Amino acid sequence: MIPYILYVLFALGGAAIYLAMPKPSGSQRRAALVLGVGVIAGLLALMSMHFVAPNSNNFFFYMFAGLAILAAGRVVTHPVPTYSAVYFALVILCVAVLLVIQRAEFLAVALIIIYAGAILVTYAFVIMLAQQSGAVSTDTRAREPLMAILVSFVIAGAIAGKIEQIDAVPVKMTAQVPQAVTDVPIETTLPATEMESGHTKAIGEIMFGPYLVVVELSGILLLIAMVGAIAISRKQVPIEDTGEPKLPVGQIGREVPPF
Amino acid sequence: MPDPGSYILLGAVLFAIGMVGFLARRNLIVMFLSTEIMFQGVVLNVVAFSRLHGRLTGDAYGLFLLVIAAVEAGLALGLVVLLYRRKHTLDAESWSAMSG
Repeated sequence: MIPYILYVLFALGGAAIYLAMPKPSGSQRRAALVLGVGVIAGLLALMSMHFVAPNSNNFFFYMFAGLAILAAGRVVTHPVPTYSAVYFALVILCVAVLLVIQRAEFLAVALIIIYAGAILVTYAFVIMLAQQSGAVSTDTRAREPLMAILVSFVIAGAIAGKIEQIDAVPVKMTAQVPQAVTDVPIETTLPATEMESGHTKAIGEIMFGPYLVVVELSGILLLIAMVGAIAISRKQVPIEDTGEPKLPVGQIGREVPPF
Repeated sequence: MPDPGSYILLGAVLFAIGMVGFLARRNLIVMFLSTEIMFQGVVLNVVAFSRLHGRLTGDAYGLFLLVIAAVEAGLALGLVVLLYRRKHTLDAESWSAMSG
């Protein structure tokens, strides 16, 4: 029963995003907002009825989950990239709160520092560097929005179709350090109380225990990316004419280098 | 704390919205912002599964996902700057000369 309700909700949500997509004729933003809020309310009501133990107080989960979905929808439908970036910051903050609710405090703080502090600032710089004057057709006309929405929400529906089976898995909250990497028994098997009090220490013991090699590899990956980004953006490129090509296309590659 | 089912559903919705943005928008910057939304859905999912099984593996995965997201953002934005310098437009469709 739940999957079918979810399919209907996803179809309505897709319709809301389609209405809000920037179009040359103007988007029906108000109708999209009403429809979108209705779909989110339905989704949260479904979650509250089927997935949550009745006695737990989950007000903050529903508040920030709804806000995250709304802000995410606005990121992908707003015609001005600067506002998209601001709404993206809102998504990040909501997801950070949801991680805190799941007792993943370290991850939440890292998310805020790295995303809101570093990545978003980089995006803001690039938006400023690549400023385009006025509303351009790049932002006011979407590319095949119907097909994109269809593909995306079919994938989400495929996930949602299996969601009832998750409850069948027994939930056990014994914090254990995974022993997948080494067969050597690891001494830092954490008592459940430590998981309750805060998981920064526990995650540190995992990262610098079984996952130490992966941490080092991440560092190397970051170094490679840094070198690559500098190499890409330092390259001087001639500004390409948007008009007619000066040379016949056939000559490029034989007598004229392609770049 | 809600069941993992709620988080998995929320992660799926965020992933779908991000995918819509990546496929449908033509501005390169907004396209890459949409991939970051997809990352958020995945981070919520791995942490939810981590809680489902009572282990911290998912949290560690979440941290590595942050590394990957930072790498992706750095390289993608460098690429965006390069492409913008060439054509003075952020339109992804202006690079479709090789499409059939």
